[in-house]
Amino acid sequence: MRPAGTGPGLPEGKDRDLDRLLALVARGDEKAFASVYDQLAGPVYGLIRRVVRNPAQSEEVAQEVLLEVWRAASRFDPSKGSAATWVMTIAHRRAVDRVRSAAAAAEREQRIAQPPSGGDDVADAVEASLEQERVRRCLDGLTELQRESITLAYYGGYSYREVSALLGSTLGTIKTRIRDGLIRMRDCMGVSW
Amino acid sequence: MKLLRYDVHALTGAYAVNAIDDEFEREKFERHMHRCQQCASEVRGLTETATRLAFGVSRPPPTRMRDSVLSAISLTRQLPPVIDHRKPRPQHWWTGRLPMLSYSLAMATVGVAIVLLVALIGARHELDQARTQNAALAAVLSAPDSHSVTQTISSGGRVILVYSLRKHAMIVTTHGLPALPSGKVYQLWFIGPPATRSAGLLPASQAGRAGPLLSRGLARGDTIGITIEPAGGTRQPTTKPILLVATHG
Repeated sequence: MRPAGTGPGLPEGKDRDLDRLLALVARGDEKAFASVYDQLAGPVYGLIRRVVRNPAQSEEVAQEVLLEVWRAASRFDPSKGSAATWVMTIAHRRAVDRVRSAAAAAEREQRIAQPPSGGDDVADAVEASLEQERVRRCLDGLTELQRESITLAYYGGYSYREVSALLGSTLGTIKTRIRDGLIRMRDCMGVSW
Repeated sequence: MKLLRYDVHALTGAYAVNAIDDEFEREKFERHMHRCQQCASEVRGLTETATRLAFGVSRPPPTRMRDSVLSAISLTRQLPPVIDHRKPRPQHWWTGRLPMLSYSLAMATVGVAIVLLVALIGARHELDQARTQNAALAAVLSAPDSHSVTQTISSGGRVILVYSLRKHAMIVTTHGLPALPSGKVYQLWFIGPPATRSAGLLPASQAGRAGPLLSRGLARGDTIGITIEPAGGTRQPTTKPILLVATHG
């Protein structure tokens, strides 16, 4: 049962529109790619900034991701999920790859980077939009452990093992909290799957 | 057994947010998902949910990124689609592979025939060169440390550079650079602390566009430059550069 009035996260037609655009991109249509860019560069960059934090590195990773979308567009299969999800999965994977290899490098050398931006910075810069409001409200509806597990795993780029160590809970608990938290998010946001 | 299955099933959430870092565990879960329709369907819904989490932190990227990405794609060859010849569930190891094998053999035969034919026409050398050139371009473009820079030239036109320090190479493409009088060329340079080396001459432009030109020998700390020089190029730059780009990364 979904709460009334939430509706799908993305406007109904937008997802299908992106699917169609991506099919054009696969055939080398640069104009279609520009439209895909305009719709997805914000979420791609926002997600990567959230995981990677450093602005210069985030920009680099975001460029790689968008170039990959162009390069691999023919591999997108609409029967397996939406175009937006295909792109965000690439973005998340690349961002996590970057922080995991960076974590290894940071242990070797003491880097003089800009001070890590706190969570507030992200919250401030985030444009207020209905979608963002809805995500925040749905996150607020989770238990603290569900919310922390999902936030650390998705926005923090931590593996569920790392999340378990950070939160001092067993692996089984964390796995379950990520799962039931996401299920609650899905129902709260009215994701139609 | 029952406990184990339950355990694997509980990974749908962690899988959807890419939080399984153990490759073996991830593959095991993916195999399980092939057999478990319910898991696959749940993963799909939870992955779509994760996408909404990304939209929840959307933020405008730097404006220069758009130009940079859009010019990079015009230099980047796309991957062909994957043609899936696999049977749904092969019973023996060879049932899945034999068709692939005969397919590869057939393709190889076709390939050999094409190469022979091409050699016959005497164009083989050119084809190989084009292929090597394409592979070299792709290697730079897909290098994990590849950078793309778009610079507007004050005398007109744009220069797009994609370089990788790991591959010690750069790709140059230009749009709308002013045509030079005969006897003059655009020459590229790697300007390093130890020495300035020529990085080649820009080919004549066609419809305002020149390149892609691949130059090798880029070293850490180099600045990339372009000058206008007498036809044939010079050993060292003799005029003021129209473009200087410091490399990093």
